[in-house]
Amino acid sequence: MYVFQCEDSIDGIFTGVYDAWASRLGHKNIRLSSCKNENLTLFSEYIPVCTDFKKSRKVSRTLILRLGTGFYETVCSSAMADGSLRNLPMDKANAIYQTIVLALSLPEGAKVLEYLGEPCIACIFELRRQTRNEGHHLLEFLRFAELKNGILFAQIHPKNDVLPILADHFTNRLPLENFIIYDAVHQTAAVHSASKDYLIVDASSLNSDLICEFSPEEESFRRLWRAFFETIAIEARANPKLQIQNIPKRFWADTVELREKL
Amino acid sequence: MNRTVIPYSNAPTARLSPSVMEKLTILTDAAKYDVACTSSGIDRRGDGTGIGNASACGICHSFSADGRCVSLLKILLTNECIFNCSYCQNNCNSDVPRATFTPEEICTLTIEFYRRNYIEGLFLSSGIIVSPNYTMDLIYQVLFRLRTVYRFQGYIHVKAIPGADPLLIEKAGFLADRMSVNLELPTSDALRKLAPCKSRNTILKPMRQIQNNIIQNKNELALFQNSPRFVPAGQSTQMIIGATPESDFQIISVAESLYQKFDLKRVFYSAFVNVSHNSNLPALSEGPPLLREHRLYQADWLLRYYHFSADELLSEARPNFNIYLDPKCDWALRHLEYFPVEINAADYKTLLRVPGIGAKSAKRIVKARQGSRLDFSDLKKIGVVLKRALYFITCSGHMMYPVKIDEDYICRNLLSDKTQIPRELKNENYRQISLFDDISYGGFEHVRISM
Repeated sequence: MYVFQCEDSIDGIFTGVYDAWASRLGHKNIRLSSCKNENLTLFSEYIPVCTDFKKSRKVSRTLILRLGTGFYETVCSSAMADGSLRNLPMDKANAIYQTIVLALSLPEGAKVLEYLGEPCIACIFELRRQTRNEGHHLLEFLRFAELKNGILFAQIHPKNDVLPILADHFTNRLPLENFIIYDAVHQTAAVHSASKDYLIVDASSLNSDLICEFSPEEESFRRLWRAFFETIAIEARANPKLQIQNIPKRFWADTVELREKL
Repeated sequence: MNRTVIPYSNAPTARLSPSVMEKLTILTDAAKYDVACTSSGIDRRGDGTGIGNASACGICHSFSADGRCVSLLKILLTNECIFNCSYCQNNCNSDVPRATFTPEEICTLTIEFYRRNYIEGLFLSSGIIVSPNYTMDLIYQVLFRLRTVYRFQGYIHVKAIPGADPLLIEKAGFLADRMSVNLELPTSDALRKLAPCKSRNTILKPMRQIQNNIIQNKNELALFQNSPRFVPAGQSTQMIIGATPESDFQIISVAESLYQKFDLKRVFYSAFVNVSHNSNLPALSEGPPLLREHRLYQADWLLRYYHFSADELLSEARPNFNIYLDPKCDWALRHLEYFPVEINAADYKTLLRVPGIGAKSAKRIVKARQGSRLDFSDLKKIGVVLKRALYFITCSGHMMYPVKIDEDYICRNLLSDKTQIPRELKNENYRQISLFDDISYGGFEHVRISM
């Protein structure tokens, strides 16, 4: 068994797919791994993969041309998921590789995504669901604060790399606003300036002083929102369990209305 | 329609007087018993000139202490009211603090909350101030300001005020995404008793008008794609449950006929909370009938997405839902002749009727079985709730466990799982076994069905 060890990112995995395919070692003898320190197995040869954007772009192009954008998006959103979260039957990178091999070998192509009986497809399906669910949750629970200079700033702590989903959504929603969404876990940020498209940048050196100075109105709108939130609940129907089920506690710290109840 | 386009940056800046806090509290409190807080039904991309878009799946932005979603800024324009409906805390005889927003205040609140991603849009209802026409006109002014001055493209849900001029309702409808007229109570007798100023007729008239306008607008859109859209997310209504003695069968039949005759998108049910303590109203010692409301919603979904009809679920002889079992399980137990269903062969509509299989998993099953034969482990991955479904399905001719196809046996097993028993019943000191005292605990029968 040959194990291709790739970086845990879309480009890393796609480079791994490219190298594995080009190695001509036979799909059955190959496994991909995106996990940094997995337990090594005896009788396996470990091949490190060096992330190469050219190779990754070639894989993306093939996927889009031969299997369509729908398939490509599914594979990307499963690559954005945190592969270590659930007890998945196989490694994230390996599931993606197997799915691509399967889809390219069958005449129906992209339709293989519906064959949930296949273990690699079930795995992709689970990963994609994980990313999309968290992406949707954060579209809901993300809160912007207006900074002194008029920029809207939001901070999130997601498990999966959902920033592109959020940036896409808010670019269309707030086209005339300058906003920054900061992913504190992955240390990246989406930056949007009015009437332009967004950029995803490395934010490991974010100036934390800048993001604590709010505009003078910010506090009054927060107070109004909290008052609205408190009043809208019907006491006779109080149901804290349902509330936690619908908005899990890990999102509370980044909201305005529930932060103080933690 | 000619709209004067004012650049978004010229829109008034956000300054609110201190009294807004007081008004917001009063008018939110007055609006909280309205149930419809959904922002679903329309996909609209922003056009880049203002603020906002809408997504058909709906986005909830928070969940209040009662677990209900907070999607829209749900407020009343005013809680002054000339009507005296006894179930409503804003009726003209009740002694509550009154307040009225100006259109400008509502716009500022909506926009500032929206850009901070607190809300998905505006839900605007109102008490009847001066006259229905006057109120409807104020509502229209708010919508007009939001849509034209602020170029707001987010979700707006407004109430059509019964008795208002059809022209005003039509004008508001071209600016809103969803409109609703509250049916209030399931039957006209109940309405006469509790809301003497309203009648079935004045409620159904605007509902019919909105339906006709939507149809007319669809025809226009077929010809002219760029004509303005009228209430694109459809209309909804709501009924109060438990204030009057109607049976579940009556309520669900009313809902069914509203879906069929008025093309409603949603009917909402609101468990009655006694706020005004009027002598006409029942005193609810155990709190609002939440479980009953829950069962009605479950049945409502069966009507809309699962191809059930009201008289399949209930009848004159059995007018109320089983409190222990959800309506679909209840139906399946009474129709065991249709089961077990073979997962690898049954058509979509048959799969939909199996407890534990929803619309999504049924669709996935139909697609997935083209690739390979499905087994129980695959079903689990697909999202089927096996603990409910296992009594009703076979995979390649086998059942998951040896199961006896027998009503009492399955019912007892379904209820032995404590998570399946509603919260309201768990807290009570009930005796589950008393339901099935006459059952003999016989041996298991191995069931194999030949394909």
